[in-house]
Amino acid sequence: MIKAKKTGLHTFMAVPAFLLFALFFIYPLTRGIQMSLTDWDGLSPAKFIGFRNFIDFFSDERAISDIKTTVLFALCSAPLLNIVGLIYALLMNAEFKGKGLARGIIYLPAVISPLIMGYIWYFLLQPGRGFLFHALDLVGMSSLLGNWMGKYSSAMMVLIIVNVWQYAGMTMVIYLAGLQSIPEELYESAKIDGAGSWQIFRYVTIPLLMPSIRINIVTNIIGSLSVFDIVMSLTGGGPGYSTETLSIYIMRMCYGSKTGYSTAVALILFVIILVPVAVSMRMTRSKD
Amino acid sequence: MKYFTKTLKILAVILICGACMLPFFILLILSLNTPKRIFYEGNMFVPDFYFHNYIDAWVQSQIGTAIINSAVITIVSLLIILACSGMAGYAIARFGGRFNNMVFGIFLCCMMIPGIINTVPLYTLMRKIHAINTLWGMALVCASLALPAATFIFTGFVKSLPRDIEEAAIIDGCTWFSAFWRVTFPLLKPCISAVIILNGFGIWNNYAQAVFFLQDRSKQNIPQAISIFFQQFAGAKWNLMAATAVIAVIPVVAAFLFLQKQLMKGLTAGALKG
Repeated sequence: MIKAKKTGLHTFMAVPAFLLFALFFIYPLTRGIQMSLTDWDGLSPAKFIGFRNFIDFFSDERAISDIKTTVLFALCSAPLLNIVGLIYALLMNAEFKGKGLARGIIYLPAVISPLIMGYIWYFLLQPGRGFLFHALDLVGMSSLLGNWMGKYSSAMMVLIIVNVWQYAGMTMVIYLAGLQSIPEELYESAKIDGAGSWQIFRYVTIPLLMPSIRINIVTNIIGSLSVFDIVMSLTGGGPGYSTETLSIYIMRMCYGSKTGYSTAVALILFVIILVPVAVSMRMTRSKD
Repeated sequence: MKYFTKTLKILAVILICGACMLPFFILLILSLNTPKRIFYEGNMFVPDFYFHNYIDAWVQSQIGTAIINSAVITIVSLLIILACSGMAGYAIARFGGRFNNMVFGIFLCCMMIPGIINTVPLYTLMRKIHAINTLWGMALVCASLALPAATFIFTGFVKSLPRDIEEAAIIDGCTWFSAFWRVTFPLLKPCISAVIILNGFGIWNNYAQAVFFLQDRSKQNIPQAISIFFQQFAGAKWNLMAATAVIAVIPVVAAFLFLQKQLMKGLTAGALKG
């Protein structure tokens, strides 16, 4: 075996990646921690104010409502995405004509910009004028949709449904990969041992699907807690600020010349994301 | 009974596919209505086939510039991602060492951090280095966000390749560095397509960073252009808005159809390695 020499170009091959990442990610991250302790407005010199930003955040009603919205969105969206994605995958795992086409169609929404997707759904759902509104009107059920944008609960529901609709295909593909890596013999031997289809699902499919479940849960938690585009285009945070999420709040505060404050909010969001990710990583750790 | 469940399953598949396609159909219908037609007057499933919308939309929304900008950003940052994380993955998998392991550890920790967390401090940095409203700045930001996951995938892949392939090249006079580019990199094709697919669409559609770093109208990417164009009309001129959305969606759908085979493979390869 040839040993790589100590020096030579190859010893520096990880340097470009590291430098780029250090400059555009790690450095801003550490700067952000410093900035979060100041009252910087983006222009005038910053003054150190300790934890004032954090105290301000937790005493701001709009911020608390944003936390609630963000967490509620994730609490509904992440599990639903996983369940719907898994159901899609179980359906699509069977052999039938046009299987590839169907998978493609279901995945297609996931590659479209969520911002554009939000606008497209807005065309469909706009109260009083959207397509679905008219379609429901034809059968006399337009009250079903009503003025969904005027109410917090229905606006949230629409956001969650559209998000699940768009990304179920993504979850499905990862579950499909997991399902296809389960050897057929395991199912057969379970059947011979007299297991019913629910038992097979519970004791064969689910444990062997753990790696896929783990990826899907973690990515969906991160994705839904940092949701941005779809809320911007679908409700713009309304009615009022009720469906505004934390990432939109960060952007608006930054534009509102509260630079220091918005970095503090970003750190809070970081913690909100980190905790459930760490917990779910622990819970789905494969036991082997 | 068996027959019954089978038809039920097929019906469910058809329903799901229909639900996935419905918004696109309606978008098409809307984009072909005349400006005079108010939303869904008359038979709402039959558009006016007024193709002039597309010309108006193209001219008024400046979506053409946005498509070019998005393409430049996507291609440049994909090239950066592939080169940097490919080399890093190779170094980590083959040589180890304190520095390489540290880079891997940092990437592993940061993989879970979404970009929005450091966007505000990044904005001040970008202003200092005059990278706001530049395509290269945006490309570097997008690339840096994708580096950890891409490096992780490359490391796993290089590890699964035998060391002999580079050693053979070195006996023939290559260095470890040139052996990577001549021998290993071409073998990483499945991994390269996975990285391109996992990141390409996301960078093309990026809005959360673009809203900070690309405010100049001549430098906007697609989502930023769409959002500004739509906010101008705020509910009026649906025909133009829909036509713009169709134009914006076409390149993505085309790329999707073109890549679909590799896409499913690439996604699964990338996901299960990661």
